Amino acid sequence: MNSLFYDTYTIFWRELKRYKKSRSGVLIRLIQPAIWIIVIGNTFSGTQPLIQSVGFEGQYIEFMAPGVIILTAIFTSIFGGVNTLWDRRYGFMNKALTSPISRSSIALGKMSAISLIAALQASLILGIALAIGVTFPNPIMIAPIMAIVILFSLGFSGISVMIAATAKSQETFWGMINFLGMPLFMLSPALFPLELLPDWLASVAKLNPVTYTVLLVREMMTGVSEGGVPAVLSIAVISVFVLIMVGLASYVFTREVNKPF
Amino acid sequence: MRLAIKVLYSIETKSLSKSFGDLNAVDDISFSVDNKEIFGFLGPNGAGKSTTIMILTTLLKPTFGQALVSGFDVVTQPKQVRESIGYVQQESTVDEYLTGRENLLLQARLNHIPKNLIKQRIDEVLELIELSDKQNDAVVTYSGGMRKRLDIAGGLLHRPKVLFLDEPTVGLDIQTRRKIWEYIKKIHKEFDMTIFLTTHYMEEADQLCDRIGIIDCGKIQVIDTPQNMKSAMGNEVISLVIENQNNEKIFLSQLKEIELIKNINEDQNKITLFASKGTEVIPKIFQIASNLNIKIKSISLKQPTLDDVFISYTGHEIRDDDGKFNRKREHAKMKRLRA
Repeated sequence: MNSLFYDTYTIFWRELKRYKKSRSGVLIRLIQPAIWIIVIGNTFSGTQPLIQSVGFEGQYIEFMAPGVIILTAIFTSIFGGVNTLWDRRYGFMNKALTSPISRSSIALGKMSAISLIAALQASLILGIALAIGVTFPNPIMIAPIMAIVILFSLGFSGISVMIAATAKSQETFWGMINFLGMPLFMLSPALFPLELLPDWLASVAKLNPVTYTVLLVREMMTGVSEGGVPAVLSIAVISVFVLIMVGLASYVFTREVNKPF
Repeated sequence: MRLAIKVLYSIETKSLSKSFGDLNAVDDISFSVDNKEIFGFLGPNGAGKSTTIMILTTLLKPTFGQALVSGFDVVTQPKQVRESIGYVQQESTVDEYLTGRENLLLQARLNHIPKNLIKQRIDEVLELIELSDKQNDAVVTYSGGMRKRLDIAGGLLHRPKVLFLDEPTVGLDIQTRRKIWEYIKKIHKEFDMTIFLTTHYMEEADQLCDRIGIIDCGKIQVIDTPQNMKSAMGNEVISLVIENQNNEKIFLSQLKEIELIKNINEDQNKITLFASKGTEVIPKIFQIASNLNIKIKSISLKQPTLDDVFISYTGHEIRDDDGKFNRKREHAKMKRLRA
């Protein structure tokens, strides 16, 4: 157990070192969410009456800012596993596999590094949101918000590592990721309240862990609770999702890397 | 309680086989490597060298047969095997954006070197491979030879009992290659470990190995010391190139009758003869040739090299793009490479 923790930390340390050295990557990953918040946030500012109808008093941009923070977390973490493919191609994986560390610690180290990186990226987006005039009534909430983002991203990094371990090519990986990422984001109240969705879509959205994360983070940021989902339920849904994903990812990763690449 | 088991061999395989589909990449290989020996697998690309290494390092499971590394079974005791080996892969596996020292630190942690020893071990191997003054530069600024040295250093940090080197000098220029050979000899002397290496360079096998196994098409053709292999060839090698092809068959059969000739190989116009007294054989060759009206374009006499040994066991020269193109083998290789 002790060595599982140490080995996970070894891989975590390596992934973070690589992240730190790729300064351009940090910026590139910010471009897409920054465009979302600046362009969509301002373009749809006329939809204020719609969000007011569900009890939200404020600018549209303040409503969707938490959604974009989650968007950043989703995409940073779901893309994050791609270097697993490079590791297998360029021998780092074989180096790790022939050392005494356990296979699941490789997966766990990658996942924890990816989720921390996702949270860092999300906090940068939060900074951009504040800079363009989003107000934040209770700054103390930033710590629990980031904790939720890390937890949530751990689940998505599990999806990413799992797909990267299964996919043998970049094309398969990106195909799968695009197939999953966008729909999961769109089928959530990130941009518009659930109440505005037709019933059948709203019930599908209620199966999506992203929905609960967006509702929870928005409640923490703005103080407005929507959709009648209590915070405790959201935390429970996210935790179960993360536990399942982390377990599944370690299992699938261990199984897949033992096959020849 | 742990019993002290005396391990007779560092590596021992019995009928080891690995097939991918209907291709036998490794075909019924049995050999053993003594403690502290430098043992080399010599063969062309696609001969099964890397597949064997991958089985011995627990990356692939054999289809059939058994392999023990440092006394542990690679299939049933992979963790113990991993604890006793170092593996330096063919391609450079160092992280380019990390510094040399950070790469070694990563390697040290992967191999569970006790925290209080890490710094000392890293300093020690950096000294050994003469990279101490570059240790804090990102690896992206290193030359190919420096990267290889760093790779080898990484494999040494935890003082493995068996060090695997897969094609340690492939793609390096001749000077760098010689330098790497020096490091490998130095390592072997200093750390007293068993080294198993694969190569397709004759000179490398000759320079480094105590014993060599020649492997071709997944099978071991012969295992012996470089010295024995060369002397088994006869003392001298005569190569000649002839012009007239019509009488070649008769020419060859008459050559075979010369008593001093031990072995003959022919490859189109090029004939290689292994003989015990070359200077006495050459006049006889000329005599036969002039009788048959065969023109000899060139003739040379030299001491046998491992190249000649390889030719005599496999019937062809060791080349990257071997004349014998094996479609099935290439196809299987591509399938594995294709990401």
